[in-house]
Amino acid sequence: VRNKRTVPNTIALVVSLIVIFPVYWMFATALKQPGKILSATPEFIPWPLSVDSFRTALTHGPFLHYVRNSLLVSVSTVLIALVVALGASIALARFRFLGRRGFLVGLVLVQMVPGSAMVIPLYLMLRSIGAIDFVPGLIITYMTFVLPFTIWTLRGFVEGIPLELEEAAMVDGCGRFGAFWHIQLPLLAPGIVATSIFAFISAWDDYLFAYVFLKSQDNYTLPVWLVSFQTSDGIDNGATIAASAIFSLPVLIVFLLIQRRLVGGMTSGAVKG
Amino acid sequence: MTSLTRAPEAPTATPSPAPVRRASRFARLTPYGLIGPAVIAFAVVLGYPMVRLIWLSVQDFGPRSLFTGEAPFVGLGNFTRVLADSDFWSVLLRTLIVSVACVAALMVTGFLLASLLRQVSAWARVMLSVCLVLVWAMPMVSASMIWRWLFEPQYGVLNWVITQLRVLGDFSAHDWFSSPGQALFLIILLIVWKGLPFVALTLYAAMGQIPDDLYEAAGLDGAGRWSMARHVTVPILGPVLGVLVLLEVIWSVNSFTPFWVLTQGGPDGGTTTLGVYSYLEAFTRNDYGGGAAIAIITVVLLGVLAVLYVRRLFAQGEVTA
Repeated sequence: VRNKRTVPNTIALVVSLIVIFPVYWMFATALKQPGKILSATPEFIPWPLSVDSFRTALTHGPFLHYVRNSLLVSVSTVLIALVVALGASIALARFRFLGRRGFLVGLVLVQMVPGSAMVIPLYLMLRSIGAIDFVPGLIITYMTFVLPFTIWTLRGFVEGIPLELEEAAMVDGCGRFGAFWHIQLPLLAPGIVATSIFAFISAWDDYLFAYVFLKSQDNYTLPVWLVSFQTSDGIDNGATIAASAIFSLPVLIVFLLIQRRLVGGMTSGAVKG
Repeated sequence: MTSLTRAPEAPTATPSPAPVRRASRFARLTPYGLIGPAVIAFAVVLGYPMVRLIWLSVQDFGPRSLFTGEAPFVGLGNFTRVLADSDFWSVLLRTLIVSVACVAALMVTGFLLASLLRQVSAWARVMLSVCLVLVWAMPMVSASMIWRWLFEPQYGVLNWVITQLRVLGDFSAHDWFSSPGQALFLIILLIVWKGLPFVALTLYAAMGQIPDDLYEAAGLDGAGRWSMARHVTVPILGPVLGVLVLLEVIWSVNSFTPFWVLTQGGPDGGTTTLGVYSYLEAFTRNDYGGGAAIAIITVVLLGVLAVLYVRRLFAQGEVTA
């Protein structure tokens, strides 16, 4: 057995190193002393460590202000989407009703419409209500992709809850709402958390809509700030990369924490339905 | 009768002893009450903009229209203009090449990685899947910024590595982004790198569903590793592979961020694909009607694939319809 696995294990090690290298290089560059970043022969281990690049990134412009903008938009998007999607996902998973099939088909098709197609009419729409360069206006645009995804994924989680549990609760005298509150919701909680995290990240990561709809620097979200960062006053590679690391770090941590659920939940949500 | 049926054989909910008529009317209206807000939200954030998009595509909507709000109706004028433009056809061809390259590379490497994950020891599996999850988690904007830094002409670490390998020659001070072909290659590499974890982990999970006895039987019949993959794994994974291909085609055609951050469609429009093209037409040339027409053409082309995808989902019974 040992010999049989030596070769695949070695390949896995090499592949892991190659695959993870760009992520490693992001942190390695960000933690280098700024003077050592631009060297003809790259140093693969950042030593001595330095947080100077992080400091430059954080003091360049009102960083916390951009964090606030990003959080405001992403959190509101997720909360609104959850409230709307929870009822819809229960209706789709637990009821037969006229138009159900049509709604499901529409739900899948809508997720195929490219953001770059939606951005043009949304721009004119927000412009006519004066919501261009208005941070909360972005929430409307994020609904276009977060809402279908949230309904679709939650529907999968609701279907995964055994029907018998609710029926037992109803036989025991719970109303349908009581059965929902005491049985479904607690069982659904992990699914809601996983779905919210994905929804949050897709809003947090958005560049296209934020780039088109936010004009003044004060209103930037983190991705727009990040891309514009290096063009503002010369290129500071260290600070740019440190800024990318700051932006990525929360997402990387969350993904690692939920990775078990992720593989099952995401694939059943996106691929297997 | 609306009831809590999930599968045909599932028992229907026993009505509580409450008045039957009122309960059933309530039950009949419940799903509409639950889904109502979603329908309204869809009408506002998706329905209206899509209708607007279609309407826009038959209008001559230029910068002046932004202020006057009026745009002349031009029928299919925008479409004939776009289709007559040779730029459009080279953009379309480029988009096709990019997505075929992305999807082919993703499927092949994803399949290989998934098979690898099934063969290695536990520690190696954990290590590789953690790496894949981290790559999956990387925001596209950050990944694009890293890409630019990895391939920076003077100080990019990969130029240094390629030079040290002494296979392709001296890459110090090599500017990848000055040539459209090489820039596209880097963008494809980025999309494949970012998309690989999803494909590999999905296939890995799907392979776990294949019973071992199939391989044992194939082994007894004298099948080697290659013919097992060809005659057992691939046919069984067929539906999953099909769905992955469709999703990846759609995602790669719609991809915007890596193109915009790395090249903005340049140099000389040499890396413009459909997503970037409709954006440029609308927001850079201020021809919103033309941009809408390009967007609609893209949606129609992808629509064929999307319909295939939906039919597949429903045919597999993965969505109870």
